[in-house]
Amino acid sequence: MKNLFYKTGTLALFAGVLLTSCDPDIDTPSSSAGTADFTSYVAVGNSLSAGYADNGLTLPGQQASLPAILARQFQKAGGGEFEQPLFPEDKPNGSGYLRLTGFTPQGQPITQPVTTDLAVRGQNEKGAPLYTKYTENVNNLAIPGIKTADIKTAGYGSTQGNAYFERLTDNAAQTYLQYVQAQAEAANHTFFSVWIAENDVLGYATSGGAFETDARYKITPIADFDANFKELLDVLTADKQKGVLITVPDVTSVPFFTTLGPSIKQVLATNNIPGMVAITGSGRERTQFAATQIGAAENGIYFPLTASSYAPLIGQPTGKYWRDLAKQLSPSQDPLVVRLTLAGVLANYGIDTTAMFGLSAGNPLPSALVLDPVEQAKIKTATEGYNQIIKAQATARDLAFFDANAYFKSIQGGFAANNVAYSPAFISGNLFSLDGIHPTPRGYAVVANEVIDAINSKYNANIPKADITQYDAVLFPGRQ
Amino acid sequence: MKSRILALLGGTLLSASAMAGGYQVNLASQRQIGMGHTGTGLVTGTSSIFFNPGAMSYVRENGVTIGASALFSKIAYSAPESNEVTARTDNPVGTPFQVYAVYKINDKLAAGLGVYTPFGSTAKWGQEWSGRFGLEELSLSAIFFQPTLSYAITDKIGIGAGLTYVKGSVNLQRGIPVQDEAGNYGRAELDGDGTSLGYNVGIYFKPSEKLSLGINYRSRVDVDVEEGDATFTVAPSLKSRFPDTKFGASLPLPATLSVGIGFMPTEALTIAVDVNRVEWSAYESLRFDYKDAVNGSNFTENARNYEDAYIYRIGAEYKATDALALRAGAYYDSSPVQDGYLTPETPDADARGVSVGLGYSVSDNIKLDASFLYINKKERTDASDKSGGIGGTYKAVAYIPGLALTYNF
Repeated sequence: MKNLFYKTGTLALFAGVLLTSCDPDIDTPSSSAGTADFTSYVAVGNSLSAGYADNGLTLPGQQASLPAILARQFQKAGGGEFEQPLFPEDKPNGSGYLRLTGFTPQGQPITQPVTTDLAVRGQNEKGAPLYTKYTENVNNLAIPGIKTADIKTAGYGSTQGNAYFERLTDNAAQTYLQYVQAQAEAANHTFFSVWIAENDVLGYATSGGAFETDARYKITPIADFDANFKELLDVLTADKQKGVLITVPDVTSVPFFTTLGPSIKQVLATNNIPGMVAITGSGRERTQFAATQIGAAENGIYFPLTASSYAPLIGQPTGKYWRDLAKQLSPSQDPLVVRLTLAGVLANYGIDTTAMFGLSAGNPLPSALVLDPVEQAKIKTATEGYNQIIKAQATARDLAFFDANAYFKSIQGGFAANNVAYSPAFISGNLFSLDGIHPTPRGYAVVANEVIDAINSKYNANIPKADITQYDAVLFPGRQ
Repeated sequence: MKSRILALLGGTLLSASAMAGGYQVNLASQRQIGMGHTGTGLVTGTSSIFFNPGAMSYVRENGVTIGASALFSKIAYSAPESNEVTARTDNPVGTPFQVYAVYKINDKLAAGLGVYTPFGSTAKWGQEWSGRFGLEELSLSAIFFQPTLSYAITDKIGIGAGLTYVKGSVNLQRGIPVQDEAGNYGRAELDGDGTSLGYNVGIYFKPSEKLSLGINYRSRVDVDVEEGDATFTVAPSLKSRFPDTKFGASLPLPATLSVGIGFMPTEALTIAVDVNRVEWSAYESLRFDYKDAVNGSNFTENARNYEDAYIYRIGAEYKATDALALRAGAYYDSSPVQDGYLTPETPDADARGVSVGLGYSVSDNIKLDASFLYINKKERTDASDKSGGIGGTYKAVAYIPGLALTYNF
């Protein structure tokens, strides 16, 4: 009896062990490249393709860049290696970045720049950082900060130019277009992505349209964009390569512009203040707006995140903004020189710092701290102009097309995936990083999956989607 | 003998994996598992306590049965448009068990006590899979204690009723989609238990030597967790939003109405057919109420909206010799989970079960029953957009060997 019990038990146990190896299976479609060929993929673009997030470019950011995520998925459909100009592992913080250090009692985030383990090799003549060189051939050719307008600018890769381009090229005279051509040839690319037009309007927008006369903050004329964009595509499609073109999202719908408005509106409502006075454009012209316009769909007023430190001063007699500006503009930090600069600035903009800040013509909200309807209209015209060209080029050259502008509009109300809520809200929305403009790695992964949709449908491919939960969103202070 | 029972119990207080519809576990008797888990219209022996208390008074001798199954369940998951199986459960072996004791007070009256585990669920998906913010790990178990009386009104018709005392427990772990500065995700763990009462009643009718019928109703039992522990592990800067607190929840264990028929065409052969109607519509939502607000809310609630489901069973037993009985059975179990409501807790689908079993009389008063059940759930793809679940394709199978010992006296 005991023996029988033992024998049966052993048999059952043996059967159990055997059965644990019989796993259920699911018949899934197989991945394929369709009519595309991902053997050698090159990515052309700006910060959005470089992996920029939290106001900086870091090694972890590069590893989660949009093209890197795409390449990882392409590899499941015959894609090849994808080289990126990664920062060294012992200098992972690259350019430095913003990290979240806590919240104010009101729940506002507090951020702090990270300045350790930077990949900075020196400074240029103006004291701006120069980054660790990476002049080997790469597949990710994206340059943070680049405009389409810059691609034929000689010297853009010099120490006076764009430090992110300077680190990639060993020839200071080389233009970005020439660099792309050389890299594309070296890679013998079979597929490409271009997402480049953002900075052609972004600098203007984030500076509140205040420095239009400065080339860095100016909107690129549509005709200039058109010419450069076509030349870029000529290079990339020289051998009829396939690729995907991506439009510019509406830069005013990002948290950088949507976060601050509600709290300012609240302050105005609490104090029964019907509206505000601001400077519009790059001159000294004043404009007035009603409190109800803040964040409104029509004739809306947006405040950039850069206004957060000045917003609490609304209604007070203050010259803080102008003092800060004078310090920036002043050729020397000698208090006397700074004071002289300040006097010039105040006279130039007609400012009376004893008047109520933001509420009076004497001490209006500086143009850089507000994006008014006139400025937004200029951004909108340019954005639509670029996007029409991008779409027309995709059609003319028979390329895949992802309308990021339409996509970001469609998710304004938020969505859920994997039981996680996503929205364009600052920090809590998971999609945007701490700079309020660039996506989090998770946000890039979400975009990557949309790009994959566009490629799959154009080239009859079946590239699998990335698991977005494998990519980070905002990191909160403290270790659990 | 006694120490063996205790040892077995100690080892089996683990939860069972849900391998019937929803989180029901139909593994109440090794003999009946072999017969497709039919038995409402039969005198099944001591397990009539569960299948039909009305039949219990027809048991010929006093008896004690202890038995258990080893439930190996496996679920594969493919995320939408991933083109591959992206996750598999790593479920521990479930051990649903049963203990029945029947004592004949006289020819017409019998008393019994049953301890069994008709509900439970274990799903361990781990902390890596894409659905971890829906569920990392769930273990749900319920042990029923059922004192029962059965009375044979005539030699053709008997009635019986039992009171069920239910001890249930739940442990749910899931990721919280907020990361600390090192990138670790937050985690939530809800752990609680509750007790409740229900009943199990049945009528057994045997109009002829060759035919028997039964109706059984096992009532709904709501396991109410009142002071469960909700523990949250998050970045210290968010801890005030996720305070450790107490939670309450109510989980309905649905009523089951069963109708069964038994045919005995020859002395050696028994054929049984059962239909179960499981009143899953009781499960409308999974709601947790927190004593302190968690992430700004005092409760979380996800719709379930289960539908009543039917299970169709057929089974047979053939007595090859006086000592040896051979059994086989099959069933079809329709899922209570509607489209849009699939969850990783119970990624349910219509299921097919086939079983075999054998009974062997070692001596006049000792009998062994062994069973083997294979369950294959249909592959199911769902958006899970109405339940807060994790959309994708799920496929589950289970292999369930089991063994029981009966001692008659």
